[in-house]
Amino acid sequence: MSYVVPHNSVKQYFGALFDAVRTTVVGMWITFRYVWGVKTVSIEYPEVREVLPERARMRLFNDAQNCISCTQCAMACPVDCIYIASEKMPEGSEVKKTSNGQSIRLHLTQFTIDTALCCYCGLCTTVCPTECLTHSHDYEFAQYTVDGMKYDYLAPDVRAWRDRIVKT
Amino acid sequence: MLNELAAKINAAVAGANAQVLQAEDAKCESSILVEGTQIHAVCAFLKSSGSMNVLQAISGVDYVEHLEVVYLFAKFDPAAPAQLLLKVRTTDRVNGNFDTISDLFPAANFQERECYDMLGVRFNNHPDHRRILCPDDWQGYPLRKDYVTQKNYNGMEVFPEGKMNMADREFIVRQDMIKKAQEAAAGKVQ
Amino acid sequence: MMNKWDIPGSVEKPTVNKDTETLRSDLLTLNMGPQHPATHGVLRVEIKTDSEVVAAAIPHLGYLHRCMEKHCENLDYRGIIPFVDRLDYLASMSMEWTYVAAVEKMLGTEVPRRAELLRIMTVELQRIASHLMAFGTYALDLGAFTPFLYAFDEREKILRLFEEVSGARLLYNYIWIGGVWNDWDDAQLTRVSEFLDAFEPETRKYHTLVSTNKIFIERTANVGVVSVQDCLDYGATGPVLRGSGFKWDLRKNQPYGLYSEFDFDVQVGDGEHGVVGDCWNRYIVRMREVGESIKIIRQVLEKLEPGSIMGKVPKIIKLPKGEVYMRQECPRGELGIHLISEGTDSKEPYRLKVKSPCFTHTSMLPLMAPGQMVADFVATIGSIDIVLGEVDR
Repeated sequence: MSYVVPHNSVKQYFGALFDAVRTTVVGMWITFRYVWGVKTVSIEYPEVREVLPERARMRLFNDAQNCISCTQCAMACPVDCIYIASEKMPEGSEVKKTSNGQSIRLHLTQFTIDTALCCYCGLCTTVCPTECLTHSHDYEFAQYTVDGMKYDYLAPDVRAWRDRIVKT
Repeated sequence: MLNELAAKINAAVAGANAQVLQAEDAKCESSILVEGTQIHAVCAFLKSSGSMNVLQAISGVDYVEHLEVVYLFAKFDPAAPAQLLLKVRTTDRVNGNFDTISDLFPAANFQERECYDMLGVRFNNHPDHRRILCPDDWQGYPLRKDYVTQKNYNGMEVFPEGKMNMADREFIVRQDMIKKAQEAAAGKVQ
Repeated sequence: MMNKWDIPGSVEKPTVNKDTETLRSDLLTLNMGPQHPATHGVLRVEIKTDSEVVAAAIPHLGYLHRCMEKHCENLDYRGIIPFVDRLDYLASMSMEWTYVAAVEKMLGTEVPRRAELLRIMTVELQRIASHLMAFGTYALDLGAFTPFLYAFDEREKILRLFEEVSGARLLYNYIWIGGVWNDWDDAQLTRVSEFLDAFEPETRKYHTLVSTNKIFIERTANVGVVSVQDCLDYGATGPVLRGSGFKWDLRKNQPYGLYSEFDFDVQVGDGEHGVVGDCWNRYIVRMREVGESIKIIRQVLEKLEPGSIMGKVPKIIKLPKGEVYMRQECPRGELGIHLISEGTDSKEPYRLKVKSPCFTHTSMLPLMAPGQMVADFVATIGSIDIVLGEVDR
């Protein structure tokens, strides 16, 4: 409804005017205190970066040398963004073990995650039995093409991130 | 409690044939099934007798032999809160229709539009009978089990080949097993 | 195939009598389009106005329709939780708990006490964050730019607490079937209690800055009035129903979880400014509910005891044949999840229907709009607090 200035009496008119000025001044006093009274909360990104909590779920990282190709992560993923291919170990090769003692029976030939599809829910990391699939704290991985968002975790340059990203 | 309500409905509305669909498992909810042609009279009875005063949602389900519309009612009464699942069925997948209840429960306006949009069930005398979530000229009813997305929409290709990334989507688990199976099939043919 | 039914609300063009009339007037159709700073998402409202006064408002939905209900028919029960998160993305914990409660009811799992208390604590913290968002954006719609950032600063602290425990700031995937994912340790719980101590004086500041401000009152009081009977007819719930004076809160009337053990009041619009059922009362119900949530969280912190956070759930979840309709009190109203399962040979639900409170409230816009001015209509849309993720699913 349109606002009509109360004008049934002089007292009502000036009362409404006084109310408006009073509440505005009270509000302005609250905001005025922020000029000197409150410390700024903004941080000057990118010179200063916030330290993320330990459990933060940013980009996934798969430590390919510990992967046993169980494909539990691919089955748990709700958006089907993990593409895995593996084959039986070639005859006569040495038996490899993961860092927590499990023996690796399958040779991993493809482990690609499409991070553009990934919804960062973390369901894949909870079902990984060797904990080779983890969330890193990397959130600055924008690419120029959508195809660039597919990370092949067997490529040597991606494997080299292991020292930076894997904690243990 | 549901049995009493079904008996009351049968007494008040002729031809309603209200029957209680008892849940097979005690943890699940039972519901009442009524005749589709009498849905308006049954809802009028529920409202006038004070049994249910709020229509929460209208959900449609496609059981392949029939289409089912579930009316989710609730009673907002601090002394005796209750909820009811009222079902109607139709076997006509092309022209299945029910009377609208949006004159009794205005909440049904948007809910019936969504049921029509998703399941293809029509509601007679609805004040604004058109699709609500899908575009107005969309073809097909998405929540049906036999729904296939149309290939073209207004000249645009739905699911274009170059963007579907089919090569990656079929993840291959054991390539040597697949090779073996192919060789076995080839061996059988020979 | 275009629809052949006319858009309702259109008015016959008046015939011109050339002897008596010189100026022909008509209704102007405006599009408060999908891109608009005040529609809280991609909502399109077609307004027919007679100069500045709205004659009819017709919402057009579907701009954020992601076919979530169809997707859920192909996902296993644990994989649906990230999808349910994305319904009302500003109140994800409440969405998750409603869905997980529906699955647990059909499965018959027993949830440990500590997990239930942690769920209540996170959902009430989420309620505070959601109402702060509603408060900040509502003030922003009406032109007050400062309270927006004050509210977001406090909300940032809550989101930081959630990031420490679950790993994400907005779409948590934290409440799982059978319990919760991660535990809170003592340091995090102390931070919750410190946050509450620092936050309570801030709520008084918001009251002084916005709720009692004469300009805000003139913009929102007596605007968009809905009666209780209209609310019940249209299926309104949550702050919209309570703002009209009807005392109905599922946490008190049909308690779920451990809510029956807690001592809190149900806030109802009382007409302190304006008339009961207007925008100001819906707004003040939300602000007062924040105080109630603080009370509940303090009681949870006292009751928490060490224990397990996850009950016994099978590795592959299969539900018995049947259906369940679970309702819970979410910050925007009552969320209902109607889950139908085909039987124990299927890992996916047969049908998942989401009864979204914001969808029902959007259907009330054609009722509230006629007779208001366009600026009042903006205030009305903000007061029903819609999130399009939930409306369109």
